[in-house]
Amino acid sequence: MSEVHVYGIVRAGDGRPVEDPNVRRVVHREVAALVSDIDRGGLLASSVLRTHWRVLEEAASNATVLPVRFGTVMADDRAVVEQYLEPLHDELASGLAEMDGKVQLTLKGTYREDALMAGIVARSRAIDRLRSEVEKLPEAAAYYKRIELGQLVAAEVEATRERDTQHVLQQLEPLAITVRAEAQSTLKAAFNLAFLVDRSRVDKFSGAVATLRRDVRDWIDLRYVGPLPPYSFTGDRVDPGAAAWA
Amino acid sequence: MAVSHAAPSGYLERPKPSGLADVIDIILDKGLVIDAYVRVSLIGIEILTIDARIVIASVDTYLRFAEAVGRLNIAEEDGSQGLPELLEGMTESGARSKTKGAVEGLKDTLGIGGGDDDDDEGREKPKRRRTSAQRSRRRDEGDE
Repeated sequence: MSEVHVYGIVRAGDGRPVEDPNVRRVVHREVAALVSDIDRGGLLASSVLRTHWRVLEEAASNATVLPVRFGTVMADDRAVVEQYLEPLHDELASGLAEMDGKVQLTLKGTYREDALMAGIVARSRAIDRLRSEVEKLPEAAAYYKRIELGQLVAAEVEATRERDTQHVLQQLEPLAITVRAEAQSTLKAAFNLAFLVDRSRVDKFSGAVATLRRDVRDWIDLRYVGPLPPYSFTGDRVDPGAAAWA
Repeated sequence: MAVSHAAPSGYLERPKPSGLADVIDIILDKGLVIDAYVRVSLIGIEILTIDARIVIASVDTYLRFAEAVGRLNIAEEDGSQGLPELLEGMTESGARSKTKGAVEGLKDTLGIGGGDDDDDEGREKPKRRRTSAQRSRRRDEGDE
């Protein structure tokens, strides 16, 4: 028998939250895992990733779901019950109760590079000076000076990120249940924040995002995505509720 | 680049439904970890995890930042080419793959966000990928 790919955990009482006939539920008492059979040979990451994303999106629109990390495979349905649903039953049930009626809203800020760099040059005399020096030297001769310049700029970018992130948190954190700062994925990234928000407050939160968008429009582009299943809030059982940013 | 769009009146801020390209970084390493799990071996996944590591404190990064402020200077002085064009050139060619960012790398690897995503993301409506096409019309952005 083939192995099973596990997408997420739902309440057994919520019925079948996904229409795809290839996705079935493995039920144990109050909880159920959404799984499908998977054949190991020749699987493309891209197609499995798409399925994973779609199953969780659909499940989240019909029920409360705890996403399981992408790429998780177990031996068979029995293993899902014996090694996961049974030993962690109470924890999963309370995790589902905790996420009830809550959604993840993700806000990513990307710097407009010209505005960011112009601001940094204007604020730092050291950078401005070094920049002129580098410019006068032949490219090869300026190698180490360029690295030095880049280090100074990198530090300024970091400080700017810190400031902008704090600004966003001041505006939005009061409207969220909790927030996590995610890893930056590009050099131009300003922030990548995941907010857990009560469904009833999504409109209010969106209003605050609109204000923020106007505030920062000259130097940051915002991407506001959701509602998502609580990907960012189900990963660590160790320290639940604690803000991951510091 | 003087962008000063006024928001259309009656414009209502709403989170956009997720497209895979928006959430790929979230999906890849978030969610419950099952102790006894086996991570499936998928074609392409090794590349994904390698791409996902971006080194901020690297010589590549510093050189790229130095280039960024340097370009700024040239643009200010000769004025023959607009800043946005220069920066775009830098984004497209100056930024080596190592520094172009994990997510862009992932999208390239997976072939999403490259224009062939329409069939796969047909159900999502207005919002779209961060593609090279979109990058190249950065100047027009800002109303989003």
